[in-house]
Parts: sequence; structure tokens; C-alpha cells
Amino acid sequence: MTTMAATLRAPLWRRLVGFNLLTAIVLGVGGWYAGWFGARAIVGPSLDYFADVDYNELSVFLAYLGGVVGFLAGLGFLNYPLARLRGYPPSLREKETEGIGRYFSLCTDHKVVGIQYLWGIGLFFFIGGLNAMLIRFELLRPNHQAFPAGTYLTLVGLHGTMMMGMMTSGILGPFGNYLVPIMIGARRMAFPRIEALTFWLLMAAGAILETTIFFGGFPTGWTGYVPLANEANPGMDNYILFFALVGISMTLLGLNMIATIVTMRAPGLTWTRLPIFVWGVLSTSTLMVLAAPVLVATLSMEALDRTAQTSFFVAGAGGSNYLYENLFWVFGHPEVYILALPGFAIVLELLPVFARKPLWGYRLAVAGLLGVTLLSWLVWQHHLFVSGINGDLRPFYMLSTELISIPTGFTFVCGMMTLWRGRIRYSVPMLFCLAWFFNFLLGGLSGVFLSDVPSDVTTHGSFFSMAHFHYTIMGGLVFAFFAAIYYWVPKMTGFQLNERLGKIHFWTMFLFFNSTFMPLFAAGFLGQPRRVVTYPQGLQFLNDWVSVSAFCLGASLLLFLFNLVYSLAFAKVPAEANPWRSKSIEFQLPSPVPVHNFDRIPVFSSDPYGYGEAPAPVVAPAGAPAGRS
Amino acid sequence: MSSAPLAQESTDYAVVEGEPPELLGRNLVAAAHLLASATAFFFLSFVFAYFYLRSLASGAMWKPRGVDASIAWGTVVTACVAVSAILVQRGLADHRAGRRPEWRRKGLAALLLGAAALVLQAIAWTQQSFGPSDGGFASVYFGWTAFLFLFVLGTMVWLEMVLATSYRYRGFAAGTTEVAPGEASGDPYRSGADIRDPVSLIRAELEALSFYWAFLAGIVVLTWIVLYLL
Repeated sequence: MTTMAATLRAPLWRRLVGFNLLTAIVLGVGGWYAGWFGARAIVGPSLDYFADVDYNELSVFLAYLGGVVGFLAGLGFLNYPLARLRGYPPSLREKETEGIGRYFSLCTDHKVVGIQYLWGIGLFFFIGGLNAMLIRFELLRPNHQAFPAGTYLTLVGLHGTMMMGMMTSGILGPFGNYLVPIMIGARRMAFPRIEALTFWLLMAAGAILETTIFFGGFPTGWTGYVPLANEANPGMDNYILFFALVGISMTLLGLNMIATIVTMRAPGLTWTRLPIFVWGVLSTSTLMVLAAPVLVATLSMEALDRTAQTSFFVAGAGGSNYLYENLFWVFGHPEVYILALPGFAIVLELLPVFARKPLWGYRLAVAGLLGVTLLSWLVWQHHLFVSGINGDLRPFYMLSTELISIPTGFTFVCGMMTLWRGRIRYSVPMLFCLAWFFNFLLGGLSGVFLSDVPSDVTTHGSFFSMAHFHYTIMGGLVFAFFAAIYYWVPKMTGFQLNERLGKIHFWTMFLFFNSTFMPLFAAGFLGQPRRVVTYPQGLQFLNDWVSVSAFCLGASLLLFLFNLVYSLAFAKVPAEANPWRSKSIEFQLPSPVPVHNFDRIPVFSSDPYGYGEAPAPVVAPAGAPAGRS
Repeated sequence: MSSAPLAQESTDYAVVEGEPPELLGRNLVAAAHLLASATAFFFLSFVFAYFYLRSLASGAMWKPRGVDASIAWGTVVTACVAVSAILVQRGLADHRAGRRPEWRRKGLAALLLGAAALVLQAIAWTQQSFGPSDGGFASVYFGWTAFLFLFVLGTMVWLEMVLATSYRYRGFAAGTTEVAPGEASGDPYRSGADIRDPVSLIRAELEALSFYWAFLAGIVVLTWIVLYLL
């Protein structure tokens, strides 16, 4: 059915101007203006846009939609569908052998897409982190304002929205795309072009969100609640477009992952032999495919309210703001587990390697992941306990929320039992995994206060809830993210990261993370609300402590960045093919992995956690199939 | 061990074993089912909005006087979509039985009916006695049908692609034709490895498409029941 054909080498002019990031930016800007003037033709002139308050929502929407279409056309995403419309046959691969240019264009090699994701998401993660630093700078003083209140709210919104939007793909984007095909013994994702599309959509979305500052920002934080959103500046349109594009990207990413895992597993790789990381990706993808469309639909309704004068969320005109809140959290709570589940999976995947023991309770761990996936649909109204919902609904959602701690506990039990009597190696990835246990435990325990109606009434909307979700998301996901980086980047790039710098990064990040967020529980209990630029004088010491700790936390992340650039660009110490003596299949391949992964599709005969049972397999020669049979 | 930067960029394709021939078809069918799941959750949001706003009837603005969607337009649009989906199903049966010309004729008719449904829906919007700002029902009506319009449009584009490939390779049987490098994208500089036997993929793509189109037609029927009959 498929064949590997030789690639014609394009001439230099073609490589410079033909379908790459440069042409994408040029056509993206052109598309933006085309959309802008198109809207002007439809609804009348608005050339004084930047000076006049008479903003035109349709102009903003059509301009950005035009920009996205132009951007994708510039990357070459329209070539294939246009060819198909003319009857040319389907194809699978593009630009897999074109040097460094692959990283700046539509490339269908899943490993290139994984690395694109790593740097792309890293860039926006860095910007989101800078916003956090500005927020903490503002909160150094209780009343003195470095930024106007509206700007402060936009900073809070930019930070939250960027982190919650981008980090949904924080693990599946780089590590899922790179590793899942290899781990299941395949050579590619099921739909390689869609895989590339999910990445570039995310980059377009990030640019749209950042340019909200040209349109007045948005005051709603990451949740985009109405009626505030309906009354907000056109910067709100950027929020809507950002999250809608993220939702589309998430849906396609999840769909591609599930199709790949279900249909492309190598012979012998039964469901009970699947690496636990792949189970985590599968659970997360299920949530993405089902929850993200609800987000897209909700934001579409909001976009119609702002442009076509519908009234989905306008209480006085037949709509309801509760409709928005319900629909948003139908997506929003599974979203929390879209962020958390990959963290669980990474920790469970790495623990056996560094404890030199088989994963304890494999089936229990899978049940935990699937249980969380299922229960995450039944808890969304705990976000609305204090919104005035029917009081009779509260007990059910309180109990269902507390019930979710049971499958979550499975993960903890499996992790702890894997560590029990293990020969633990305290390498950098393992340190991050161990920190995950501590952080996520605090995040989970503080979550009980928020799921419990009486205590939620006190703590809702305060810094307590802010501290809680930073412990779960930053303490859970981001620490696991760094564990994954230190563990897999040597395999992905062929270069080793500096271990000493890695350990300094870990310890500073762990200490200053806790020093930043633990006092916020106290600030919340003492009544400091989220998203408010001023606070009582008596809370200044706590806030100053938190701000200084946050700056140190930021510095520790800069240290990581230094390590990454230093190790990959200057030190360039070649990584061993299997530096951790892992039994997982990706470490049986050369570093970096060949374009086609395997010469012959491998045959699996066991799961990858047989530590203590036989010596680690010998590294296979370049291009050879993995040998685990 | 290698010190090459980032992912390797060259390979010896001559030694690489091909994929199982049925893999691409399985991928497409799996994707069609997943896409249907995502589509269902997208439109469930509108179903939820309909019943939520209807039960609240906030400010007596759910369905003010004069707001009533024309059942005639809705019925015609729904009928076009339903018949189109049935024709694709019948076309698939023809393709399975080796009656390729019959499949192409039915596929073309299905495409025309789908396009007619889109045109009729666009006309229907202009013929209603109310606009998007006339209360809760009007919002749901215009929002729901607008996005359904986009989904139907996307599916018709997909059908056109399958049909166009069928027509381009109408003289070939599966396994008898080969595609030159670059032909798949219509651009000789953009090929890495293409599928050489496009004819054998038409069936797989048609299986996936017919399932999804039937599913979407089911959503159109549900829309008709909720927006026009309830």
C-alpha cells in the first residue's frame, strides 16, 4: 500500500519562499488585513479603529480568521486538500528529509513535530511565566499600583489562559507525538498531516492571545465568564479565538492519538502490555476528543453573542449566564484532568526505571487512569457551589468530586508500592517524580476543602483555591513535564543535559515552588481574593514573601533554560542510547531515533517493566528493529 | 550513538519494510468514529442550550410572539441531507459489489443533494420571520443551524475528494496503478513517501465517509425534531 519514494531536492529559492514559517507569517499578515477590510466592506468603515472606542467585533474576528487561514496556507496546509479536490490521491509524508528547515514548516515526521511542540510550547510557557512575574511584582505593595487595575486583570488573564490553554498539550504535544508511535512499534502517527496541523494551530492561537493587548485586553481571567465577557473590550475576541483554536487543536490531537494507539500497535502489544505512559495518553485523548468540542461550541455561542447579536448568555434577552458557566465547566473540569493525567502517567512510567522494579499494580494503575477519566465528567458543578445554583444539587457534586480521590489514590498506591524496597537512583528525572508525590498530595488534600460545600463557601475565589490549583497543575503537571524533559530529551536530541545544573534546577524549583504557593493557602484563609489588585495592609508580609519566592522560582526556570541551551548548543555531549538502562523500546533505538524508527516492525512479548528479571537489552545498531521478543 | 543535531534526517528507504495494506483503511474508519463522537459532543452543547434556555424562559424571551421557525424549509433541508446520506450508503454497497460506475453516479447525486441542502438552508435563514437577536430560541436556532451548515459543508468537501479520486482513477483496478513521487500533492518538491495504490484506498475512505455522513444526517434529523417539531 505505501512506499518510501525518493525526495526531489528543491532549489534554493524554493526552499526560501516556499511554504515555510516565513511565507506563513507573510500570508498570515496579508490574511489578517484581508479579513479586516472584508469585515469593513460588510459592516461599514472603521479605519479609526485604534483611536476610536467604536470597536467592531466582526472586524476583529474576520481579521484573525483571515490571518489563521493565511498562516496555514503559507505553511502549505491548503496544498494537500486542494490537490485532493482535484482527484490527486492521498499521501502521508511531507518534508521529512529537509534539514533544519523541517522545524519551521509542515513536516509529517512525528519526531520533528514532537520537538516543534517542545520549543513552541516552551516559548509560550516562558511568556506565561513572565506574566506571573509581573503579577507578583504588582502585589509587592498592597495599594501602590505599578499597573492600572485593568492591565493587572489582563496580565492575570493572559497568564492563566496561556498556561491552561497551551499546557493542555504540554505533554501530549511534545512527548505524546514523539514517543507514542515508537512505544507502540509504529513508524508514524495515524494522520501525520493532522498531527502537524495541531501544532501550527496552537502557535497561531498563542500569537492571537498575545495580541489581545492591542485591543484593550480582557478582564475575565481564564474562565471568560459572562456577563463580564459580553461587556469587555475587543481583546475578549482574542481570548475567544485563542481558546476555540486550542479546542480544535486538542480535539484533533486526541483523535489522532486514539486512532494511532487503537489501530497501529505492533504485533504482540496487547492492551495489558501497553506502556503506562501510552495508557495515560489514551485516557487524556479521550477527554480531549469529548470535552474540547464543548469548549469550541461554548465559545462559538459567545462569539455569536458578540458579533451576530444572539443572546445565548444575555439574561435579559432570553439567555442565561448560567448556561455559559455550566457549559464552560463541562469542559473545564475534564480539562483539569487533561492536564493532570499525563503527569500521573509520566511518573508511573519513570518510577520502575529508577527504582529498578516492575511497576506495581499495572492493572490498578490503568483502572485509576480510566476511573479519573470517567468521573471527571460528573463533578463540574462544584465550580458553581457559590453561584446560586439549586442547593439540592450540591450534595451529589460534593460526593462525586470526593469520589474521584479513589482512582487518583490508585496512582499514588501504585507509585509508592513501586518505590517500596526499590534500588532507587536519585537522578534528576527521579527527583522531579518524587517531588510530584509531595506536591500533588498537597494539591489533592487542599482540593477536599474546595469540594466540600461548607468550606468551599469560605475559600471559593480566594488565594486558597489559587494555591490549590497551582499545587495540582504546576506541582503535578509541570514537575512531571520537567521529569519527562530530563528523561527523554537526551533520546530526542542525541545530547546529554548537564546533571549538576539539573539538580540545582530541581532543588531551587522545588523549594521556591513551595515557598511561593504554600503561603497562599494562608493568604486565602485570611480572605485575600483572586484577581484583585489591592489587599489589606496586614497581608503585605505574606505577599512580599510570595513575590520574592516567585522571583526565585522564575530564576530557577531560567537556570533550566540555560542548561538546555548550554547542553544542546555548546557542550554537545553525545547521549548514550540508553542512559537510564531503561527496558522501554524507545531506549533500544539509537539516539537520535532514525526517520523510519524501525526497519522492521517489532514483535512484543512482554510489558516494558521487567526490571530485576533479566539484564537490560543490548542497544540495537542504527536503524535496526528493537528487540524485545 | 550519533552526535547529529536533533532528529535524524536521512534514511535508507530501501531497507524499510512496508506497512500492512489494510492499515490506512483501519485508521480512516477509526477516525470517522472518533470524529462522530466529537461532533456529537459539539452539538450536545446546543441541545443543552435549547432545553436549558427553554426551561428558564428568562424574561419571557424564550420564544416571543412571531418567533417560529418555518417547518417547510426545515423539512426540505432535512430531506435533502437524509436522501444524500442514503445515496452514499447505496453507493458504498455498489462499490463493495464492484459496480463502480453506479457508485460514482450515486455519489454525484449525493453531492448535489448535499449542496442543495446548503443552498436551501442559506435561503431559509433569509425567509424566517425573526432574526438572531429575537430571544433564546432565535439564538439557538441560528447558532445551531449555522454550525450544522459548516459540518455539512465539510462533509461535502470530503465526499467531493473521494468522488474526484474515483473519477481520476476510474480506469484502474486496485493494485494496478502507481503514483509517481510528488503526484499525491501535485507538487514534485513535496513528496517524501506517497501511497502508490490510490484505487485501493477509495473503498476505505468511502466506508469512513459513509459512516460519518449517516451519523451527521442523524444529527440533522435530531435538529429538525428539536427546532421544528418540539
